[in-house]
Amino acid sequence: MHETMTRESPATSATTVLSFGEAINAALRQAMELDDSVFVYGIGADGGSGIFGSTTGLVDHFGPRRVFDTPIAEQALTAMALGAAVAGLRPVLVHQRFDFMLYAADPIANWIAPWRFISGGRAKVPLTLRVIVGKGWGQGPQHSKSLHTWFAHVPGLQVVMPASPADAKGLLLSSIFSDDPTLFIEGRALYAMREAVPDQPFFIKLGEALTRRSGEDITIATFGSMIPAALQAADQLSEDGIGAEVIDLRCLMPLDSKTVIDSVRKTRRLVAIEPGWRMYGAAAEIIASVVEVLGPKLRSAPRRVTWPHAYVGASPALEEKFYPTSTDVVAACRIAMDRTSAIS
Amino acid sequence: MQTSHSGTILSLYRMGRLIRRVEEILKDEYAQQQMRCPMHFCIGQEAGPAALAPLLQAEDYVVSHYRSHGYYLAKGAPLQAMICEFYGKASGANGGTAGSMELAHEDSRFFSGAIVGGPLAIAMGIAFALKYRNEAAIAVAVIGDGSLDEGVSYEALNLAALHGVPLLVICENNLYAAHTPAEKRTLSRSLIERAKPFGLPAVQLDGTDIAKLHSELRELVTEMRSSLSGPRFVEIETYRYCGHVGPEDDNWLGYRSVEEITAWRRRDPIVKARADARSCGIPEPVLLDLDEEIEREITAAIEKAKNDSFTRYDWSLDQVWSGTYAPVVGNFGSGSVGEFDSRQAETRLKPY
Repeated sequence: MHETMTRESPATSATTVLSFGEAINAALRQAMELDDSVFVYGIGADGGSGIFGSTTGLVDHFGPRRVFDTPIAEQALTAMALGAAVAGLRPVLVHQRFDFMLYAADPIANWIAPWRFISGGRAKVPLTLRVIVGKGWGQGPQHSKSLHTWFAHVPGLQVVMPASPADAKGLLLSSIFSDDPTLFIEGRALYAMREAVPDQPFFIKLGEALTRRSGEDITIATFGSMIPAALQAADQLSEDGIGAEVIDLRCLMPLDSKTVIDSVRKTRRLVAIEPGWRMYGAAAEIIASVVEVLGPKLRSAPRRVTWPHAYVGASPALEEKFYPTSTDVVAACRIAMDRTSAIS
Repeated sequence: MQTSHSGTILSLYRMGRLIRRVEEILKDEYAQQQMRCPMHFCIGQEAGPAALAPLLQAEDYVVSHYRSHGYYLAKGAPLQAMICEFYGKASGANGGTAGSMELAHEDSRFFSGAIVGGPLAIAMGIAFALKYRNEAAIAVAVIGDGSLDEGVSYEALNLAALHGVPLLVICENNLYAAHTPAEKRTLSRSLIERAKPFGLPAVQLDGTDIAKLHSELRELVTEMRSSLSGPRFVEIETYRYCGHVGPEDDNWLGYRSVEEITAWRRRDPIVKARADARSCGIPEPVLLDLDEEIEREITAAIEKAKNDSFTRYDWSLDQVWSGTYAPVVGNFGSGSVGEFDSRQAETRLKPY
């Protein structure tokens, strides 16, 4: 891992195949090399397992001043990030599970998010909260929640959910060097996936979606850990001659609804997929933003593919059924394509 | 000619008197309903900010609880901008977005907020940054006794001590969390005994004698600056004369006795500071001139605040995000998008 990540590459276009976790590690390493004000902390940040490999080796390279372990004190640790950012640093705090970060709801929603507004637009709050969503091996109700919409709902926060290793690196670098506070949400399920990742630091403007696959017949809008299922579904649909356009929103806030609307203007059909709960969710927000503009022009009613509005039980039998797969996405797309679903 | 001692005594009196009169005059003005934000007056609690004021440097930070007006002035932030803020004017310290409860002045490194417990943890983070960059400045967290009922306070004290950061915790013990007395909140009677186990040296100081409090704080702050000896905890015994919030007296709630209030008023810090100034040889006419100057300064600031323009609504909506990045991203590539193979298996978790 270290060999591939530290490999010097003269050409800016050079890439190295990295896993999602290694790509995050590479982004942290480059951010810290570029700017001494970047530091990384959180429970186990300097430990042997390196938070699923994402911080492995950083303490050896940068020392305990810039990479350190912490007590289990999510609320103060998160407020600490705000203080450090107010004083000009660019902290990166890692919460190993979204569930644990709920202790930090007060500093996030009462202090960090409104800080710039309260300053009358004078303050900058350049902090990044990395947070990981567990999935599988019986993670259960207290280790698997993805509460991205709770935080996308609060004005002042950027909410980023990368889907691939290259995006994870680019989006994390952009989050760290953004002057606004960012919640960077990582799907644990994505960690082992690999992709060619540019060696050099690169920038992805937060709030710009990526069209991962073009198609003429139906738009699939999603983000984060549902991107692989969406792309697989598009492959299956193409075998039946259905062209699905897959849009990776990348960020829930700012939300690039324009890219989705432009796509649906062409396809006039929409399936929104969310790696999270259905009620009051991001899929609903995406559909609403499209329907408000294109409602009468749609060929069929937009559909959602989400988690059920329930908890995932800590058993393989329950987990297998709980999480949507490409099969569910294909099924939703087929309903949206069916003439009988057409809006009359 | 003033000695250095009488100069200090006079400056302490001036700050104490300024805070007292700002609060009293604002309290009277409040009835006109032109300041339409909840306001927590610090009348009676002036000793802490007045004693601390000469010890604070421009590079230091203060993060305060919501009874913050005194500490705002103590940090050297401008009176005019504070009063404009209360009137909701664009010329306010926060651009007219915050009113009293989240009063802040970015350039003066002063911040405050209305959620109990937050300021301590945020100031700890600021102090961490100061140590990280090896700066000589300190961060001051101003909290109340009620803050020590919040769990985050203990997380923050622990982290401050663990990292040895230059954090001065000023805990103003005014005996009540809003209207709830200590005996309804905890069996623990000593605030300083709650800080000590984390490794913070902690002292309890009298908040009715500004000059004495100043010399005690000066010794402590000087030591913090010179020895980089890590965080300190100071409890200031003090008392709020006015209601918890707003200009009205709230004694009708029956949460404290008239006798208690009278006893504290007999130990008034501003009366004591004025007597101290007289007894170290400052003539009465000098003090009267100073009092007059303070009255004029406050009255003029209120007059200007009333005449300034309100913050524009459309402008306020644009203050939520900066949308900017550090200059370094200008050197970044745009990042060619690789061919992401979606057929890869998800991570197979281990049982831990």
